[in-house]
Amino acid sequence: MLKKRGLWWIFGPVVLAFVMVTALFLAPFSLSYLSNKDIQKASVSFSKNVFKGESVKMAAFNNSKTNYVPFFGSSELLRLDSMHPSVLAAKYRRNYQPFLLGQAGTESLSHYLGMQEMTPALHKKQAVFIISQQWFTKRDSKWAFPQFYSPLQTVNWLRNIKTITPTDRFIAKRLLEQKQITDNSFYTRLVTKIKNNEPLSETDQSLLILRNRMLLREDQLFSNFTVSNNWDRQVEPALKSLPKTDNVSLLEREAMKVAKQQTGNNEFGIQNSFFRMRVKPSLKKLENSQSHFDYRQSDEYSDFQAVLQEFAKENTDVLFIIQPVNRKWSKYTGLSTKRYYQSVDKVKKQLKSQGFNQIADFSHDGGQKYFMQDTIHMGWRGWIAADTEIKPFFARGYQEPTYHINDNYLSKKWQNLVPIDNNLKNFK
Amino acid sequence: MLNLQPYADPQYFIILLLALVPLAIGLYFGKRLAWYEVLVSLVFIFLMFDGKKYHEGIALITYMIWQWLLVWSYTLYRKKYNQTWVFYVTTILAILPLVLIKIAPVVHWLQVTTLLGFMGISYLTFRSVGMVMEIRDGSIQEFNPWLFLRFMLFMPTISSGPIDRYRRFVTDVEKAPTRDKYLDMLGKSVKYLFIGFLYKFIVSHVLGTVLMPNVERMAIISAHAQGGWSWWIVAYMYIYGLNLFFDFAGYSMFAVATGYVMGIEVPMNFNLPFLSKNLKEFWNRWHMTLSFWFRDFVFMRLVFLMMKKKWFKSRVTTSNVAYIINMLIMGFWHGLKWYYIAYGLFHGIGLVINDVWLRYKKKHHVPHNKFTNALAIVITFNVVMVSFLLFSGLLDKIWFQR
Repeated sequence: MLKKRGLWWIFGPVVLAFVMVTALFLAPFSLSYLSNKDIQKASVSFSKNVFKGESVKMAAFNNSKTNYVPFFGSSELLRLDSMHPSVLAAKYRRNYQPFLLGQAGTESLSHYLGMQEMTPALHKKQAVFIISQQWFTKRDSKWAFPQFYSPLQTVNWLRNIKTITPTDRFIAKRLLEQKQITDNSFYTRLVTKIKNNEPLSETDQSLLILRNRMLLREDQLFSNFTVSNNWDRQVEPALKSLPKTDNVSLLEREAMKVAKQQTGNNEFGIQNSFFRMRVKPSLKKLENSQSHFDYRQSDEYSDFQAVLQEFAKENTDVLFIIQPVNRKWSKYTGLSTKRYYQSVDKVKKQLKSQGFNQIADFSHDGGQKYFMQDTIHMGWRGWIAADTEIKPFFARGYQEPTYHINDNYLSKKWQNLVPIDNNLKNFK
Repeated sequence: MLNLQPYADPQYFIILLLALVPLAIGLYFGKRLAWYEVLVSLVFIFLMFDGKKYHEGIALITYMIWQWLLVWSYTLYRKKYNQTWVFYVTTILAILPLVLIKIAPVVHWLQVTTLLGFMGISYLTFRSVGMVMEIRDGSIQEFNPWLFLRFMLFMPTISSGPIDRYRRFVTDVEKAPTRDKYLDMLGKSVKYLFIGFLYKFIVSHVLGTVLMPNVERMAIISAHAQGGWSWWIVAYMYIYGLNLFFDFAGYSMFAVATGYVMGIEVPMNFNLPFLSKNLKEFWNRWHMTLSFWFRDFVFMRLVFLMMKKKWFKSRVTTSNVAYIINMLIMGFWHGLKWYYIAYGLFHGIGLVINDVWLRYKKKHHVPHNKFTNALAIVITFNVVMVSFLLFSGLLDKIWFQR
């Protein structure tokens, strides 16, 4: 009997499946439900899906119970010790709670694209942006880009373009250097148009809307799939150990105590576990290994400019934090302090000259005891120092900034400018 | 420029299946539209090797002319004469491009790689070398240039197999299946496609894309910290091994399913290999078209040669030597890296030990029940996983590339 099946028996279920999937993808209602607890977990999850997506981020920034604010950064955000901004904000029930965006490898270009999915959360809102000088390398600065890229970012970026600005053309050029874009003929065609200053056609716009709906649905269905337990495993225990009152000197004492327990197997003040796993095996090889490191010339400076332009466009009130390097470690590895400070000066020039005046510069504090948790990442007392800037910043609330964007920072000339003597002062 | 890599994403399947609709309608009504089949195949092969991959396309064309001339002239020759050295020379010439491609990365011949390399060269070589051997045997007597091209360039299997045989392929391609038979094939095709989706796009995505990079990183970091060993390596071993199966089995399912839609019964490549009770059975269930190819064209021929020349007195020694050489050649085929060769040697020795055990078992009436069966499966699975760990090259990264 089964032998006599017709075509419908074979293809009916397939057709039905296609119809159902299409309906699911194009349905005009949201399919994701995120509880407050889910969002809390996501805020410290460092999940790539969350970073690449839109639905979890926007659910957090629209949350009515907790005022989540974006903290852009990179690997230092992963140092969830008891003085971490997320822990302090939760413990003392501050009027904000960081939503951490970034991890090892997220640099300006990834952040810029990620911002395209959360523009309402930036518009006339506050944000914190932590800068690492290690982003500003001469070559291979985009090694981690593929891990943090999602097509949804490109679609949103393209849809956000009203009139094509120099920044848009710059980003288009950058994207066309990435395999993820050039492998896809649709995105390549549209991004090339932007690069050539041609506006997108009506058809392009409609295709983008369709893509956006499908990608967004995919994001809603899957982006909270990888559940992380960082909140329960790291934040909760840290909350218990903190002093009852929000007081800097009490926190300092606690930080000294914790840091002392966790360091000591090395002369650099690096956390024991990090030293054992990541440093000790190749300690000999690392001596003087950074003597050629130079953060002064990099295309990252222009990627960073794109981020600034986005903040300016959305009138975001931003606090920038510049992270130091572990002084003892940089001495051992031969990193030139002079060149490092010059690269910091270059970043600060770019910020200040365009009206980004809220800068917490810790670049000179890398020699302080227990300021760094390891080689290049803030920890314990570093976090407390950052908190003395973060806390009042959010306490005073949003203040309308005045930025004046200078597109010359997108130029090769700026990227390659050596920040010495009058070079910085004369650049306009 | 539009470039389509086989079975890479959902769009590919939609485009492919739509393109095959006219062919399928023809087959449903008992007619094989050969010219349309060739047209679709050529278009898809062109789209695989266009744009930035154009040099691969040129290499493919050059390669095909080379093999076409070789097989054709050998058929002509074989009709009149049958000298052994001519057969050897022809075989060597047929393998030559593949050998050069394998040597090129080791000795840094970049031009050779760009000039001769294209995706799927080894699978095409298996097909043509198999033909040369069967021409020598006399089981293929005529050279049909048209059928030769259709066999070699059969689109669904061009880049990664399964490896079909010429005579089997020709019987399929010269007629259309009956309607009942074709409906049966379509039904299987749908089933295989969806199993393939599950294997390749879900299971292999989780194992290979989500888990593997993280576990690999942890394995390398902690092994470096602990003097060359860590338990992460074991975790990596299972994830890598399972992913290897789901990725490749999924891919093979797609190729078989596409072949079925085109009315060609492409042979299956995997048959639940991890349920094998011994290593020999494993090779009858794992990458079957490759291991059967090696069985028929390397192992059997080595055994015959050694028996004819009476190199060894005992038949056991003969087959043991053949096992090891056979598996070593397979190891070399994967690439000139110590871990591929070690992988081949591992399986060669494994098969020898396996035979020793099977003979011992026969002689000594070893108990045989459900429990021993399960134990055999567990042992075989783990032995295979260890061999895949070797194959993965992780140990090379940990031990030799610090």
